[in-house]
Amino acid sequence: MTDLDVSGTTFGVIVGSEPAPWAGPDEAPLESRPAGTDSATAAIVGPTRVAPPLMTPPLMTLPNRATSRTRSRRLPRSLERLAGVVALFLAWELASRAGWISPDILAGPSTVLTAGADLVRSGVLIESLWASLQRVLWGMAIGIPLGTALALASGLSRLGDNLVDANIQMLRFVPIIALQPLLVVWLGVGETVKVSLIVLGVAFPIYVNTSSAMKSLDPRYLELAEVVGLKRFQLIRRVVLPGALAGFLVGLRLATAIAWLLLVFAEQINATSGIGYLMTRAQLFFQTDLIVVGLITYAALGLLSDGLVRTLERVLLRWQPGR
Amino acid sequence: MIAVTPTATTQTVPPQTVPPQTVPPQTPISQATRPRSARPLAVSARGVTRTFGGREVLRGLDLDLGPGEFVALLGRSGSGKSTFLRALAGLDDGFDGVIEVPVQRSVVFQDARLLPWATVIDNVVLGLPPLEAPLAGLAALAEVGLEDHARDWPKTLSGGEAQRVALARALVRSPDLLLLDEPFGALDALTRIRMHVLVQRLWNRHQPAVLLVTHDVDEALLLADRVLVLTDGTISLDVAVDADRPRRVGDPRLVDLRSQLLSELGVDETAEGRSPADLPHPQLPNEHLPNQQGDTQP
Repeated sequence: MTDLDVSGTTFGVIVGSEPAPWAGPDEAPLESRPAGTDSATAAIVGPTRVAPPLMTPPLMTLPNRATSRTRSRRLPRSLERLAGVVALFLAWELASRAGWISPDILAGPSTVLTAGADLVRSGVLIESLWASLQRVLWGMAIGIPLGTALALASGLSRLGDNLVDANIQMLRFVPIIALQPLLVVWLGVGETVKVSLIVLGVAFPIYVNTSSAMKSLDPRYLELAEVVGLKRFQLIRRVVLPGALAGFLVGLRLATAIAWLLLVFAEQINATSGIGYLMTRAQLFFQTDLIVVGLITYAALGLLSDGLVRTLERVLLRWQPGR
Repeated sequence: MIAVTPTATTQTVPPQTVPPQTVPPQTPISQATRPRSARPLAVSARGVTRTFGGREVLRGLDLDLGPGEFVALLGRSGSGKSTFLRALAGLDDGFDGVIEVPVQRSVVFQDARLLPWATVIDNVVLGLPPLEAPLAGLAALAEVGLEDHARDWPKTLSGGEAQRVALARALVRSPDLLLLDEPFGALDALTRIRMHVLVQRLWNRHQPAVLLVTHDVDEALLLADRVLVLTDGTISLDVAVDADRPRRVGDPRLVDLRSQLLSELGVDETAEGRSPADLPHPQLPNEHLPNQQGDTQP
């Protein structure tokens, strides 16, 4: 508890200090004199003050923890958000049951749920999921090292930068999806095309974000490295790479989102397995429930992988201020 | 000693064991500040000139620093004192003239400049051989009273603590020359007083030559053996501070010296005086108005 009264005409000053267990008592003489007695700072400031009339100005009581309105919410925020989602699904279910939405247009949530459960039970969903997941995993397993290697090449040497960066900055503006015809001509219609598309889609954001993070590294840290005499290898390991980590992780998050997007695209062109194949087949028979199951699976996969990257960020960037 | 020249970095003499050789300057020496004797030197600068875009920030600056000497370099903001320190640190090779400095030297910047992604101890031992690093790092942290924070991230430190880690990082390298670039400028007044105490204690124990760049006259008088004022790109005043240690801010023996330094810096102490900008002071060009200087006019 701290009590304080300031009367109408007072100029109050609060002086505080951190405790300093490291400043031993042997140094006391240096600190014993208050800093305020310094001759230059004690000079009189401003003209002589005319005293105002001694009257209490209008006062108000500030809200505190008990009385504050912003704190006493009816419901936690997450619960409110969840309620909105539940309401939407309820309305959807109701509309389906009442026959306002035909099953050929969009199946209701309960139908989708049953269809999904059937697919899980028969093993088809798991099989398709695995086929799709494999493509993404391969694409990332190749695309991430590729993008990182290119970023290192351009970030660590001027020659590398000149050779790599100009080309990539040019290719970056070609929509990856538009490369599909060319890739099919080169690689046929098998798995290789699908994985290649994802590789390209992953490598670009990884490259762009990592290399720009390396280039925008705070020059003060490079100065420090010079002052403490870091060798080139140490400079890369201790300063450049950790400094580029945040940029790399931003690239990784973009890359995961793009990987799923390209997967959907690749699987709907010509696939004989995977979630996209499941949905394309369902489309032929107007099985909207199966299509919705596919959509939900994609969404869940996207959400899950984004969560993984976020967790990775939280762990790897725990040194960042404000985390 | 190594001679840092604009073109080459060559090690001529091992530090402090042999009196430094006279290195022939590449540009003519303007004039030495004091007669050159056989006394050992930790820093020797001869005719150092540094130009930025046609503006001469340093003009034939000469400076000698003895081993273990604590020298404060005062100057108005933009007077080139940090430029000189950066040249001594080896961070800027765009100067003319000859500078000799010890091989082992450390810098403490105004910002603590800790790598945010490395723990406190890893910041302290940055670049040291891994075998000797952990023990030396912990010992250095203990000296500044932060051994308990060794495994913490820099973001958890206060400004004063971060600057103490920076001091530990500088000292763990056992420098023969410690360069302090306004290291207390960003700290609050109370923390600054404690840092002064700490720096004196560390200097007493390790005895490096220290060059403290500051704009605080009281700080200079409190800490230094010798105070220099940098005006117009050269040392315009070089005075010894004779008062014994420990000193206090506002020590009566230093009052006259304080006034002398303030007036050399173009500050009128008396409250009723005019502001420094109004004072006629032809040899102090205002660096915020480059057009007042003849050399930058078209």
